[in-house]
Amino acid sequence: MTVYDFIRGPLLWFSFIVFMAGLLFQIYKIFSITEKKERPKLIREEAKKSGLAGIKNYLTGKFSRVNVKGTILGTQPHMALLSAVFHACLIVTPFFVLAHNILLFESWRFRLPSFSESTTDILAIIFLACAFLYLLRRIFLPTVRAVSEIYDYILLLIAAAPFVTGFLAYHQLGDYKTIVILHILSGELMLVALGLTKLGHMVFFFFVRTNIGSEYSFRGGSRSWE
Amino acid sequence: MSTNVINGIDQSKIVQMLKQKKQMKVFLSICASCGFCADSCFLYRSYKDPRYMPSYKAINSLGRLFKKKKRVTRAMLEEMSDLIYGRCVMCRRCYCPLGIDISAMISWARTICRTQGVYERYDIDPMGRINKAAV
Repeated sequence: MTVYDFIRGPLLWFSFIVFMAGLLFQIYKIFSITEKKERPKLIREEAKKSGLAGIKNYLTGKFSRVNVKGTILGTQPHMALLSAVFHACLIVTPFFVLAHNILLFESWRFRLPSFSESTTDILAIIFLACAFLYLLRRIFLPTVRAVSEIYDYILLLIAAAPFVTGFLAYHQLGDYKTIVILHILSGELMLVALGLTKLGHMVFFFFVRTNIGSEYSFRGGSRSWE
Repeated sequence: MSTNVINGIDQSKIVQMLKQKKQMKVFLSICASCGFCADSCFLYRSYKDPRYMPSYKAINSLGRLFKKKKRVTRAMLEEMSDLIYGRCVMCRRCYCPLGIDISAMISWARTICRTQGVYERYDIDPMGRINKAAV
């Protein structure tokens, strides 16, 4: 069995299993620290239901209390755009690459629709540009720099590596065989890292945005100083 | 007094207190170090110094306790007290894109410091507030 066959076969299955187990582990982790919601004891129910408070209560129940001004979209719109584009490219691109779908079809006679190769190329370049901006932000912005460790840089590298190697492989830059092996390995590494490291925010994101009342979630918050 | 007390620090007590807050270990492990919490702290907003960032305060107090556990020294706690007493007023108004309860972690770090005899010092002036107030 060649190295290529090994990383395409058993190692891929291994990383998929670790990935799924990791996601389950992250979900377990978040449920293990949750508790039953405490109801505020000092609010009188009848006071909430009468007069203007009643109307306000009705309206807040009907409409979202999200105040865009306090969210990332309001305070740092460029970062909101950067994050959205970065994550959209990261998730969408791998599923619709022509070459991935051809491999899928060869193995299982099943394929997803795919983008044209030039579209994928542009998406990859956009992703890499976003990753580079993230890196610059981590290095030069004092707030982010203060809390960054080597670990954070490594995780950014793990997220960007499949795209760098994939880009090189598509353009046949460097030794193709080595690059493809590195591409598969880096992809597998990312799958493993998703379940075990702070890249697990892939799971937490949904819990937090829908469950925790804060300026940065869809539930609305009331703590902003604005 | 137990045999674990070294240099006046009861290591086993610290470890036991850290074990009580399992969720805080999870919080520290999922912090993406994104820096978005900076804007939620009014001290950061007025001083523009990254040392006032909620995540910086939590990572460098409770985070360090979790990392060191049995190797915590008094000098470390003294250094920490500067951060958690001097640079935080416990207004609990910080918020995080990942829903981490940052102020609870700073609060627990304070509690741990208090069990080891490290209290808020009103006679020293870590933030230079006296000079600023005098201007």
